Amino acid sequence: MKKLIVTLLFLLTSFLGFGQSVSAPDSKSFLQSTNGQDASGFVLSGFGSNETLLASISLINPPTGTTFNLTTTTGLTAASGFTLAGDKTRLVVTGTMANINTALTSLKVNTGSVIGNVQLSVAATVNPIGFFYNGVNGHFYKPLTATADRTTYTNARARSLLTTFKGQTGYLVTITSTSEEEFIRVNVPATNVWFAATDEVVDGRWVIDAGPEKGTVMKTSNGQLAGNIQGVYNNWCGGEPNGSNGSENYAVAKWNGAACWNDLSNNWNNPYVIEYGTWTNPDDATFTEFYTNSVIHSNGQVLRAQFNFDFGTNIDETKFNTILLAQSNNQYLPTTNTNRTLNGLGRVDMTSDLDTVKISNGKKGNIIAGGVEWSYVNISNGVTTLYIDLRKFDQNTQPSDVKRVSILDAYDGEVTYQQTSLYWAHYVVPSTLTKITDGTSSFVGNIRNSGYNNWAFACDVLFNNINVYKPHGVRLSTTNNMASLYNSIVTVSDVFLAFKEVSNGGLFGNESGLEFGSGVQFMNADIDGNGMFNELDTYKLLQHLTGVETIGGGSTNLSDYIKLYTKSEYDDITKTNWYTQTNVTRNQYTPLNLSNSTLLNNFTLNATWIGDVNLSHSAQQSVNGVSANSVRVMSLSTNSVSTDINASIIGEISNDKVIIRISLDPLQQEVVGTQFQLNYDNSKLKFEKVDFVTNGNPMNYGTNRGSFVSIGSLITNGGGVLDKTTEYRITFSPIGNITNILGLTSISTTDAVNKDGKQLKVKLN
Amino acid sequence: MKKIILISLILLVGCTKMEIEPTPPPSTQNIFSVKESRVTDGQEIHFQLSTAGVYTLTLIDKENGQVVSRERFTGQSGKNIKKIYTNSIESQYLYLLLEDVTKTEIGKTTIITK
Repeated sequence: MKKLIVTLLFLLTSFLGFGQSVSAPDSKSFLQSTNGQDASGFVLSGFGSNETLLASISLINPPTGTTFNLTTTTGLTAASGFTLAGDKTRLVVTGTMANINTALTSLKVNTGSVIGNVQLSVAATVNPIGFFYNGVNGHFYKPLTATADRTTYTNARARSLLTTFKGQTGYLVTITSTSEEEFIRVNVPATNVWFAATDEVVDGRWVIDAGPEKGTVMKTSNGQLAGNIQGVYNNWCGGEPNGSNGSENYAVAKWNGAACWNDLSNNWNNPYVIEYGTWTNPDDATFTEFYTNSVIHSNGQVLRAQFNFDFGTNIDETKFNTILLAQSNNQYLPTTNTNRTLNGLGRVDMTSDLDTVKISNGKKGNIIAGGVEWSYVNISNGVTTLYIDLRKFDQNTQPSDVKRVSILDAYDGEVTYQQTSLYWAHYVVPSTLTKITDGTSSFVGNIRNSGYNNWAFACDVLFNNINVYKPHGVRLSTTNNMASLYNSIVTVSDVFLAFKEVSNGGLFGNESGLEFGSGVQFMNADIDGNGMFNELDTYKLLQHLTGVETIGGGSTNLSDYIKLYTKSEYDDITKTNWYTQTNVTRNQYTPLNLSNSTLLNNFTLNATWIGDVNLSHSAQQSVNGVSANSVRVMSLSTNSVSTDINASIIGEISNDKVIIRISLDPLQQEVVGTQFQLNYDNSKLKFEKVDFVTNGNPMNYGTNRGSFVSIGSLITNGGGVLDKTTEYRITFSPIGNITNILGLTSISTTDAVNKDGKQLKVKLN
Repeated sequence: MKKIILISLILLVGCTKMEIEPTPPPSTQNIFSVKESRVTDGQEIHFQLSTAGVYTLTLIDKENGQVVSRERFTGQSGKNIKKIYTNSIESQYLYLLLEDVTKTEIGKTTIITK
């Protein structure tokens, strides 16, 4: 039975073609005007090892002068119209997955002087028997040449339309270019092949008769060249078309084996070809079971500044702006003063705001082959020290200016200046220079082992400036109403959790309690930022909740509420070191150092909100999460809230007062905290009071904030829970005469928390 | 002649209509007979009731399904006119729901507030 199941599963997965894919390498920067640069990293997987695959490798709109080649093509066959050898921008091959993968490891890119994106794309599919793939336009072709398949033109035209292949409807082949004509000539083993061209409507007026170009006029008169439309492909044989007998209204290619066309009448039974695909660019192909992937490298420095913000489900990212900063005179100033608004997905592209002017950042010493031993290294006890003769320095270059060196072909990288002795400048090199010590350097003739772990170089030393991009930064701002925004971030759940932590962990100092699982929670709960989480902070949280005094003092500046960290900084915050994060209140992050040698300069920044004790709107800490160079630059996430409770609201005019009733149905939850924000139109209503009907001896609050009332309850002493009888009755008096109240009040923020500290979703119905 | 042209231009500019979106006049059409309506603060809405009694009008955020405002009122048989206020409402797209005292839906339409 097991064998049967295994066999069935095998057949099923084979049939469905599970798991086929093309993976792409990470982006990189190529050197300009350099041949043979490694572009490997594409890998096909999931295909059967014995299957013959069709693979297409292409450069998409490359900068002028950019080509690729494969240095290993063992077992591959070039598709029609292509050759395996040589530099090219597109290549279509057939072969096994193993052979294609081997070839892809030898993929090399040649670049010219024009900088720009170098997008490489690889597509693969199981090579379908009986079909031919044209890599120039990305279409498949199926020749029907058997005697039984041969038919009239009109039958061929109709039958083609009844077929589908890889999700595409077929059509009688069109021939619209020299290369397509050649493709047909080579791949269709027959003569007099119908293709979609006719003058059946108006004699001599030939039109393309199928496919995406259907209806395009090819020529307006019979005769080989007469009336040919400029720019439309025609390839008639001499004296053709001639409309002989008044019935030759249909075109054939390969007329009597020649590479040109003739017109014939519909009583001929000829072979024909069905074409699949309507696009002109192979990279636009939408075939099913056709697997593709691509990577965008660059030729030279093509910097991009792309950010991705995610502030959780109930915060509108489009209300946030970013501005790009660059360092100037030890200050970070806006590069263009352009505020970029995040889109609905929280994304913003600030590439055009980058300051790409490079500045000098020290010197590089280039130790090149020469005739005098101006330099040597000492390698002992795992420490490599480089010595450069002081006579090689001048007034433009001091020993301490040197931050990078290249040492023959053995090292190219950073060094740390150590000291200057009588004759030498000393630098620590973070490498054991194996090419020097094992004799594999190609400059072996310039290297002398002088004993005592010293190797001297017959060399010259040249210095040049190290030019780098200015350090950048990003500043975040918001057009949100901060009071309203913050009320949705710091809610009764946060306050309750803070109370639980204080009561479990001690009321004094920075003791670790039982409720907070993360140092970030302590940091966020330390409202006054004094490095201690204690009862004073919970009191401030409570004041904020009840509207007595707001966190941040009602400031409209985002920097009073948010903290940004690099991912590593954020992940390193623990329960024992969080208090070192005091006074880190910043809505901007600097420096973001742009690399000189990589294409993608993305940074992972995490954000956290002061008072967000339950981390419902702050980034989650992760040690093994997103890598430092991830596309995801900033991550703020929301804890999922899966537990619902019900509440309802109803308002009416009663005795010249406007009464709003909010009632609660906790269902199965042991609710200990609630929070509602009831907005009201203060030009038409005047707040009077809130009456509470609550069980469990809670602390109830109902604070008028001018345009809204913050209402709720909080039980922090373990003395009970809120039940179904809970009701908040808010009374307003009308300003002027009103006859009804629909929309005069509305609820915008709700929150609730249960006895376990779990945040609950309030469903208002 | 130049002066005439100049004066004409000044008058023309002075008479140019300000680009202020006018408040749409109250529609006397039954609001539940149309798929959606754009409303401004204090705009009248019209609807028909077959019998007099207690009804509710409810505004529901289309995005998250949450009730944001509800009014209970006593309706009269035939034509009823109510005002809808939008200044306190943060959502732009809402359902307007008319129900009777048994919570049976009488009418439902979409309201766009901004």
